[in-house]
Amino acid sequence: MTTVTDMVERARTSRVLDVPATVAALGSIASFVLRLAGAAGLDKGATYRLRLAVDELATNVVMHGYRGGDGRITVRGRSGPDGVQIVIEDSAPPFDPVEGRLPPAPGVPPQDRRIGGLGIHLALTSVDEFGYAHRDGRNISTLTVKAEGTDRCPPRP
Amino acid sequence: MPLSVSLSIEGDTTVIELTGELDAKTAPDFHRTIEKAAGHGTHTVEIRMAGVGYMASAGLRSLVFAQQKVANDVTIKVVGAIEPVSRTIRTAGLDRSIVLSDE
Repeated sequence: MTTVTDMVERARTSRVLDVPATVAALGSIASFVLRLAGAAGLDKGATYRLRLAVDELATNVVMHGYRGGDGRITVRGRSGPDGVQIVIEDSAPPFDPVEGRLPPAPGVPPQDRRIGGLGIHLALTSVDEFGYAHRDGRNISTLTVKAEGTDRCPPRP
Repeated sequence: MPLSVSLSIEGDTTVIELTGELDAKTAPDFHRTIEKAAGHGTHTVEIRMAGVGYMASAGLRSLVFAQQKVANDVTIKVVGAIEPVSRTIRTAGLDRSIVLSDE
């Protein structure tokens, strides 16, 4: 049986944001993520990592996914005592961030590197768990930052 | 989320001071300021970032752009960046060519 308390609890911890895939909407996504991080009681470091990861992936969808055309991004979030899980969905062409990441190349001068792929690398090294699926024509990325997670500070390139 | 950018010259140093958040939306302002700074021809470009609470890879792109715009003998310094911002710069390997300094 669903009690009023359960319903209130779900409303408090599960949220959805649907925005046009534009640079202007990135601020709304950031605010949405910061509210979820606050609800989960994430510390400053974990909050920063979560925001950075979602921002980089959403920016990538806006800049490269829809290639400047119209589109939408749906962000679902759940916060709980263990941390925050965010699901980012878009209907741009299939793109698996794990394959698209570009770790910093030691032999390449910084000015010659593709910063775009580096943004995805930043995102993937900022979260505790990451998953990608392509279903029903949609890219679905799932990111988790744990309340007691660790900052897996990537090795120097 | 706004970013305020100021540009000044102190002796042989061009100073860019940033306050706010540096992301895909605000980085173009920083980019334009770098272009002006590169034209000053000073030996150091100092980017004061103590007031930057958040920086995404769009900010890295601006720093890379700064390296490309200035002459080889010009030092680019990033001063006062908070830990997660300097971490992002280190992750990109930009600390090899940009001087990261606490003050």
